[in-house]
Amino acid sequence: MFRKIALAIAFSPRMEALLAEVKRLSILFESDLILIHIGEKTEEQESKFQEILDRHELDHDRTKLIWKQGKPVKMILEVCREEEVNLLVAGALKEEGLLKYYLGSVGRKIIRKSPCSVLTLIDPKPETTSFSKVVINGTQLDITPFVIAQGAVFSKAVQADQVHILNEIKMYGLQMGTAGEDSEEEIANTRRQLVQDEMDYVEEILKGIDVSTLKINIKVTGGKWAVELGRFCEKIGADLLVVGDDSRLTFFDRLFPHDLEDLLSTLPCNLLIVKN
Amino acid sequence: METLNHKEVINLLLQLATMLIMARIFAEIARKLRQPAVVGEILAGIIIGPTILGSLFPAAQDYLFGAHAMSNIALDGFVQISVVLLLFIAGLEVELQVVWNQGKNALKIAVASMALPIIAGFVVAYAFPEFLGVNINDRIVASTFFGLAISITALAVVARVLMDLNLFKTPTGLLIIAAAMIVDVLGWIVFSVILSLSESGSGGLGVWPTIGLTLFFTFFMLTLGKGLINKTLPWINKKLAWPGGLLSLSLAICFLAASFTEFIGIHAIFGAFIIGVALGDSEYLTEKAKEILHQFINNIFAPIFFVSIGLKVNFIEAFDPGIVGVVVIVGLLTKYWGAYIGGRFASLPRKKAMVVGFGLSTRGSMDIILGLIALENGLITESLFIGLVILALISSISSGPLMGWAEKLKI
Repeated sequence: MFRKIALAIAFSPRMEALLAEVKRLSILFESDLILIHIGEKTEEQESKFQEILDRHELDHDRTKLIWKQGKPVKMILEVCREEEVNLLVAGALKEEGLLKYYLGSVGRKIIRKSPCSVLTLIDPKPETTSFSKVVINGTQLDITPFVIAQGAVFSKAVQADQVHILNEIKMYGLQMGTAGEDSEEEIANTRRQLVQDEMDYVEEILKGIDVSTLKINIKVTGGKWAVELGRFCEKIGADLLVVGDDSRLTFFDRLFPHDLEDLLSTLPCNLLIVKN
Repeated sequence: METLNHKEVINLLLQLATMLIMARIFAEIARKLRQPAVVGEILAGIIIGPTILGSLFPAAQDYLFGAHAMSNIALDGFVQISVVLLLFIAGLEVELQVVWNQGKNALKIAVASMALPIIAGFVVAYAFPEFLGVNINDRIVASTFFGLAISITALAVVARVLMDLNLFKTPTGLLIIAAAMIVDVLGWIVFSVILSLSESGSGGLGVWPTIGLTLFFTFFMLTLGKGLINKTLPWINKKLAWPGGLLSLSLAICFLAASFTEFIGIHAIFGAFIIGVALGDSEYLTEKAKEILHQFINNIFAPIFFVSIGLKVNFIEAFDPGIVGVVVIVGLLTKYWGAYIGGRFASLPRKKAMVVGFGLSTRGSMDIILGLIALENGLITESLFIGLVILALISSISSGPLMGWAEKLKI
């Protein structure tokens, strides 16, 4: 699923935990590991990093440390493109302050502009994170079949206990409001049909994926998908949310937040953004 | 405070009861014929108004809708509130998320579908003001108003048609919905600007301050205003009775916004519309709450408004086949071709562009409100208003079958 996994490293309190997390993922997905450091390459720095890599017992043949100088976000994304990275792992704070939200922190900027899939860990742990409850966005979008397929592969690899696929009825209020011209029975049928259509949509996608070892629950809701996903994740205490993204978010999206931006302002849990 | 006397109270209640009963009967007939309820409600108004009841039983019509001036004023209050609430739910229907998702294509279609009717409508009305019945003393404003009135799409009606045709969730359906939402927003902003230019509509602040305030109010409500709503709604949902608290307070802020825009010289309905957009876009306004607001307004206030149209105008006396013909032909052709060309610009195949063209030609709500405001402000004559109502009826009846036909074409 991920041939190359990348992690930007700096001497921060979270570095050890993040290294443990990517090491586990690289073993699970049999991936090469790319570590990116933005800063001047000195002998002292080099030996410090070597010591850390040795401590984590990273496979030397499959691990590459890349040094870059310049603007962190630009450089990290450049390495991802050059090295054809499939998954970039990043640590991020759960909540973004108002100023940082509009200006963009390094973590959020990476998420917004990354050319590859991004796994954002809000609380990376040295003993690694357990992805027991996974929520996948099943709302009808062009990228959704791919997201569900990737989410299922990821869930199997991390041995998730329960996978929830949340689908949203688009403009439920408007549809039911206009259905208000009908009789009681017709309204009930319309309501039932709207839910059934969304169930059918997800079930049709699942037919083409091997999910035999997964416990899957399809849930249908009404409202804005990103907001509903956030609420659902918080309600069930999800460990990971899998969503897709096929667009680059801009400042304008932050001014009038929608979809993914709704999620990025306050991350409900760890977030895997799948890019095709 | 002056109050209605015994007879006036009875008269007002009879007026409301007659309007609601007739609206229901004809909406049901329209439903059986698979037509939008609005078609039945407008026909009900024509029947109990001066056109039919007034011609056949003038005494009965006069007793109901003419004998008590105070009751009529009170009824007009109900109608005004109905219009404000209709605009409020029109705003609630606008989902900015859907608009962003459809992006530039929806914008291209919306702009093209408005530009062509506005330009063509303006040219026709400006060139032949006396024939068409636009106010010659306010020629530019009245002509633009006419163009704008034929450029509007009825979002709720087209949503229903798309649901019936099973096209609502298709890419074409969502594109039509998003484009109709943009048409609504652009239409009401343009409307406010034009009204501030009108001699009769200007509220005293002057043209440029009014335009500036319109744009500021829109931007403020969709950014900071929405933020305030997002802070308040969770508290309302949690602490107050549901849905009672939400319903009463949403209507209260709707009336506050409406009174504010009326105060600054824009029409009250603009405030109601923009607050509807801001509230509807809030993540804390549940879909269930939207549904309740829809049902409450669509089944009580919308019929009162649409029936009241037939009470204001005699559709036989003021009927002018020449005007109606021009309005219908210009309205249908320009809206269809505008949306079609927009669809082609958005790289849609011919068939899909045709479906979009017919879809956006659906009228039957906001366009009538626009026409009525123009009539009340002396910008257009009754004959031209009748033309707009007939255009709305024809396009809302025909758009469903035409979309279904275009969808089946093998091109």
